[in-house]
Amino acid sequence: MPYLKEERPETLGVEGEWNIGAYTWKANRLLEEFVEGLKQRKLVGSLCFGCGKVIVPPRNLCGRCHRKMEGRVVVSDVGTVTCFIISPPIKRGKIKVLGMDPVEQGLIQEDEVIIPVFVKFDGADSNLGTLLIGADPKEVHIGMRVRAVWAKETRGELSDLEGVEPLR
Amino acid sequence: MMFRNVAIIGCGQTKHSSKRRDVSLPEMIEEAAWRAMEDAQVTPEEIDAIVVGNMQGFGGVAQPDQWIGDWIGAPGKPVMRIATGGTTGGSVGQGAIYAVASGMYDKVLAVAWEKHSDSKEPGATTGLLHVALANFFHAFNYGMNLKSLVATTVVGAAAGVAVYQAMFYMHRSGCRIEHFDMVAAKSRRNAAKNKYAHLQWPGCTPEDIAKTEMVAYPFRFGHICPASDGASAIVVAAEDIAKKKEDKAWVKGLASYSDEENQLMSESYGGVGILDASEQMGCRVSAMKAYRMAGITDPKREIDVAEIYQPFPSQELIFAERLGLFDEGKAWVALEEGEMEIDGRMPTDPSGGVLATNAIGSSALQRILEAALQVMGKAEEHQVPKEVRNAVAHGWGGVTNYTTVTVLGDSPR
Repeated sequence: MPYLKEERPETLGVEGEWNIGAYTWKANRLLEEFVEGLKQRKLVGSLCFGCGKVIVPPRNLCGRCHRKMEGRVVVSDVGTVTCFIISPPIKRGKIKVLGMDPVEQGLIQEDEVIIPVFVKFDGADSNLGTLLIGADPKEVHIGMRVRAVWAKETRGELSDLEGVEPLR
Repeated sequence: MMFRNVAIIGCGQTKHSSKRRDVSLPEMIEEAAWRAMEDAQVTPEEIDAIVVGNMQGFGGVAQPDQWIGDWIGAPGKPVMRIATGGTTGGSVGQGAIYAVASGMYDKVLAVAWEKHSDSKEPGATTGLLHVALANFFHAFNYGMNLKSLVATTVVGAAAGVAVYQAMFYMHRSGCRIEHFDMVAAKSRRNAAKNKYAHLQWPGCTPEDIAKTEMVAYPFRFGHICPASDGASAIVVAAEDIAKKKEDKAWVKGLASYSDEENQLMSESYGGVGILDASEQMGCRVSAMKAYRMAGITDPKREIDVAEIYQPFPSQELIFAERLGLFDEGKAWVALEEGEMEIDGRMPTDPSGGVLATNAIGSSALQRILEAALQVMGKAEEHQVPKEVRNAVAHGWGGVTNYTTVTVLGDSPR
């Protein structure tokens, strides 16, 4: 049987564009507890009474036990780098995030090197993704000890935790 | 066990490239579906049911199944669409196998595809953004600053969780960036022997890859898979039908596994309890289950070739270990010794794999298809030069939480 395509060798490009749209989705209120902790410079996690795992930021259900994580604990603001990425120097016009150039917007300096890290804060059984601040890319390693860097004035929001810095 | 034996009796795929502007979406899908039916020597009338799928939200057309039915002979037949992110193709293939193994249908067509170039968004990743944005907007409400978001996405967007996964693996195995160069070069060379593959580079060397720009340490540009347009299809049939066919690959075992998200965030920006992103227990457990069903006790000896889902070179090494083909943390040593080459002891991704061709929804079905070709001895130029009794095909994705493992062989279970 012949391919139908052979009877219709040409196709044309149809241009189209639409706004993806707006949604209202339901989310839980656990971050309220987390940012309330940040205001007091504390990292709050949820504790599973089934397996004893502590997850930061708190989550509703334990991923392995399928139990509601009903406990709350405060973990240390000192922790260990479990993983890291070192960006190349970021250049203007090279990258677009959500349709904007972060260098043009002044969010990132020209040639800035960004080091996102996973940190396992002491007492937690999860990684928290954040930024490593004030470190020489050459000294970054897995197992590096770091401490939370807090905003000068904490206001009960996620940006109260600015990142982590090497523990010296 | 109380289910029928099943075999793959036909394989079809399209040429893959970054822009298949010569065909529309249904035409591209039809190309693969008809090739599979021709290969199986069955007419569309003889197909009992169809399983289709692509990555949800990619390619700009959210419900392509509304268009494609007529083009693949679907009218009057049951059609099921499956979408499990990157694992889609593996789930589509396994869905077709379930449908025949259950005794419900005798011949089922499985078709999977992606047509990235229809979207103007880089990578056509609208679907991924929806997942991320639901959490990011939530975080904005709780005062996440824009710089943190941008910083994590700028670096993460290129390769997302895979970069972290690679770092974890390097740290615990002693593998180095040079080994990623070797895997990437091997993929480009193998793809050059596969006429359907996308990124083909005959004679590519690790040094060639090492010259490419660093995207996010430890990934270079040459380590990253393309976004391809393409489709693949297989025809799955019951034992009595398959026995009459000259070319077939028997399904000996299969398994699938889902886990909590193996990345940074759970629902509503909560944490995740998996500390090592390269742990990938889903792959280990699936492989153990599938091998047990297949009667395979020593995969290192009994598996002859593997088709691994590896958009990034680190993943070929990680998953090869998780599939039990090499000792823990030692895949890179085997790589150095040439064992993973097309003519090596344990060839991995002789087709070039996902690193060379990534039409996302189709990629995991292609692993099953390529494993079937190896078993049938029909892989042409990229056929491994040894007897293939058993082959393993792997799929990975979802929000990095779904795994499929399918074991094919030259004799029924």
